Amino acid sequence: MSNEAMSLQDFRGLLEKLRAGIAPREMSDEERVRRAKKAFMQKLNGHRAVDLDSCLQCGMCAEACHFYEATQNETYAPVYKFRLLRRFYRREMSPMRWFYRVFTPDITAEDLQNWQHLVYDACTGCGRCDMICPMGIKISASIRVVRHGLAAAGFVPPEMRVLRNEQRDQNTLFGVGAEQLKALAARLGEQGIDVPLDREQADVMLLTTAVEVLLFPDALAANARILNSAGADWTIQSDAFEATNIGIISGDDPTMKLAIRRIVDKAKACGIKTLLLPESGHAYQTMRWEAATEMNESLSFEIVSMPEFIASEIKANRLNLKRQSNGASVTYHDPCRLSRKGGVTQQPRDVLEALGMEVRETPSNRRENYCCGSGCGEFVMQSSANLRQKAFEIKKGEFEEAGADTVVTGCANCRINLLIGAEKSGWQTPVTSLVETVAANLAD
Amino acid sequence: MTLLEFASGPGLQWALWIFVFGVVWRLIGALFLLARKDLSKPRRHNSVAAGLGAIWSRSTPAHAFEKRILFQHVTGYAWHFALFISVLFFAPHILFFESVLGFGWPHLPNTIVMVTAIIATAVLITLLIRRATHPVQRFISNADDYISIVVVLIPLVTGILAFAHVGGRYETLLALHLLSVEVMLIWFPFGKLMHAIMTMPARYQAGTAFGRRGVKA
Repeated sequence: MSNEAMSLQDFRGLLEKLRAGIAPREMSDEERVRRAKKAFMQKLNGHRAVDLDSCLQCGMCAEACHFYEATQNETYAPVYKFRLLRRFYRREMSPMRWFYRVFTPDITAEDLQNWQHLVYDACTGCGRCDMICPMGIKISASIRVVRHGLAAAGFVPPEMRVLRNEQRDQNTLFGVGAEQLKALAARLGEQGIDVPLDREQADVMLLTTAVEVLLFPDALAANARILNSAGADWTIQSDAFEATNIGIISGDDPTMKLAIRRIVDKAKACGIKTLLLPESGHAYQTMRWEAATEMNESLSFEIVSMPEFIASEIKANRLNLKRQSNGASVTYHDPCRLSRKGGVTQQPRDVLEALGMEVRETPSNRRENYCCGSGCGEFVMQSSANLRQKAFEIKKGEFEEAGADTVVTGCANCRINLLIGAEKSGWQTPVTSLVETVAANLAD
Repeated sequence: MTLLEFASGPGLQWALWIFVFGVVWRLIGALFLLARKDLSKPRRHNSVAAGLGAIWSRSTPAHAFEKRILFQHVTGYAWHFALFISVLFFAPHILFFESVLGFGWPHLPNTIVMVTAIIATAVLITLLIRRATHPVQRFISNADDYISIVVVLIPLVTGILAFAHVGGRYETLLALHLLSVEVMLIWFPFGKLMHAIMTMPARYQAGTAFGRRGVKA
C-alpha cells in the first residue's frame, strides 16, 4: 500500500517558501530584554532554582551532547546554553543576588541574539545531557526556559515563527487543515481503510499531524488499520487532529496552551476514554506529561502513545499479527521525548519482537540514546542544516554498529531527519515507522 | 591577641556563623521558590523511592557515558575520598570536632592521613590544571570555579606544612591553616562549594521527576 505522499524534495521547497514569506520582528532592544526577563521570571520555579544553584560547571554535559561531540565547539556545551538564565537568576532572583549583582553582567539584546543559535540551532532539547549530570540537573529544562525568553524577545527562527503564527491563527500547519485531512480520509476509504472522521462520541480519539498528512499518509493509514483490526471504537476530529505543538517547540506559551486546549476540549466533548497519540515524540511529551498541568485540571481520559497501545493490544490478544520467520533484524531508534522524557522504551521493542524480528541495539540506547539530530521540529530550520548533518553522522555510526537490516522509529520528526541525513550521506539502510511495520504485518 | 588566638577564637566563630547563616539562607531561597503542582497521571507512584534512588544512581555514570567521562569520574572519587579521610580521620581534627560537638570517633594513623592529604592535594591541583586547559572547562569557567578550588587547596597545603613543621614556626603555620579554613567556610555559601549541600535536593528532585515518567534517573 502506498498513498500519494509529498516527496522530501517538495517538502523542502515548501519550507523554503515559508522562510521567504516572513520579515524579522521589529522591537527595541530595551523591549526585547524586558520581555525576555519577564519570561525567565515566569518560568523560573523552585526546581530550576535548585538546578541553577547546584551546577558544578564540571562540563560533563558536553560529553553527552551530539552537537559538541560532532564539532568539538565548546560553546555547544549544554551548561553554556543556559548561561543566560543562570546570569538572570544570579542577578535578579537568587538569595545571594545582592552579592552576585556586583560582578554578574546584565542581559543585553546582543546576548539574546547570540543565544538564538545556541538554543535553537545547536540544541534539540533531547535531554541526553540530563542523563549524564552528576548533580541530576535537568539541563534541557533550563535551556527550554532560555527558548521561552528568546521567543518572547522575538529571537525565534523564521520558520518556527511562521508556523507558530499559522497554528495559532488558522489552526493549520503547512497549509494542512480539516479539508486536507478529509481528502486523505476519503482516499483511504477508497482503499477500504475506514477512517471514522468527526464522530460525536467514541472511546478513542486518534490525533495525527500535518507532517503525516503530507509526507507519511501511510502512517495514518497504518494507525487506522491497527485500530480497526483491534476493533476499537475510535474517531479522528477534523478540527482537532493536530498533535504537533509549535508553541512548545518554539517556546511560545499562548500558542502551546491554545493547541492543547483545542485537543482537550474536543476530547471531553467526545467523551473519550483514551487519547491516542501518533508517531510524534514532542506530542507525547506535551499531551502525556504537560497538558494537565498547563490546563490546570486533571484529565479524565488516558493519554497513550501508539507503541504503548499496540503493545497492550498484543498482550490482550486483540491484534492478530503475522510473525516473520525470515530472521529480519531491526534497530529501534528511541525518540528522546518518548524514551528518556516519556518512559516508553520497552513497549516498541516488545512489539517488534512480537513480529518475530530480531531487535539489535545501538551502543547507546533507551534513556541514553543519541538524538536523531533534529528533535523538536528542528528539521524545519535552514540555519541548523549543517549541524544536523554532523549529528546524523554519529547516529549513522551507531546504526552501523548495530548492523540491522532496517531502522524503525516511533517519531515522524526523527524519521524525517534520518531520511534526510541518509539521503545526504548516501546511506542505504531503510528507515521506517513502527506503526507501518506493524500494519504491514497484520493478519487480516 | 596573637594570630593563633584570633584564628582559633573570634575568627573561627565569625566564619562558622557566616557559613551556617549563608548556607541556610541560600538553601531557603532556592527551595522555597514555588513550582506548580504536576497534574499529569504518574506512571510510578512511589516518588520518594525514585528520589532516593537518584541520590545513589547519579554517583555512577550510565554505561553509555562511562568512557567519555572516565577521567572526571575517577578523579572525582579520588578527590572526595581523600578529602573526607583527611578531614574526618586526623586525630587533631577529631579533637577539634569533639570540642564543638561533644563527641569524637576513632582516628587513623597520622601517616595514612598524610598520604591521603597529599593525594587530595595532588588531585585537586590536577583538576585545577585541567580547568585551566581543557577547552570546555576553560571556556565555561568563571572566578567562582577557580576561587572555590583555591580556598580548599590552601587549607590542605597549610595543614600538610603544619603537620610536617615545614616553612615556619608551628604556631604560625597552624594559625594560617585555621585562617585558611575560615576563608573557605566564609566562601562556602557564596560559591559552588555549596554543591556539597545541594547534591541531595538536586538529585532527589531529578529522581522524582524522572520516576514520575517511569524513567530511571
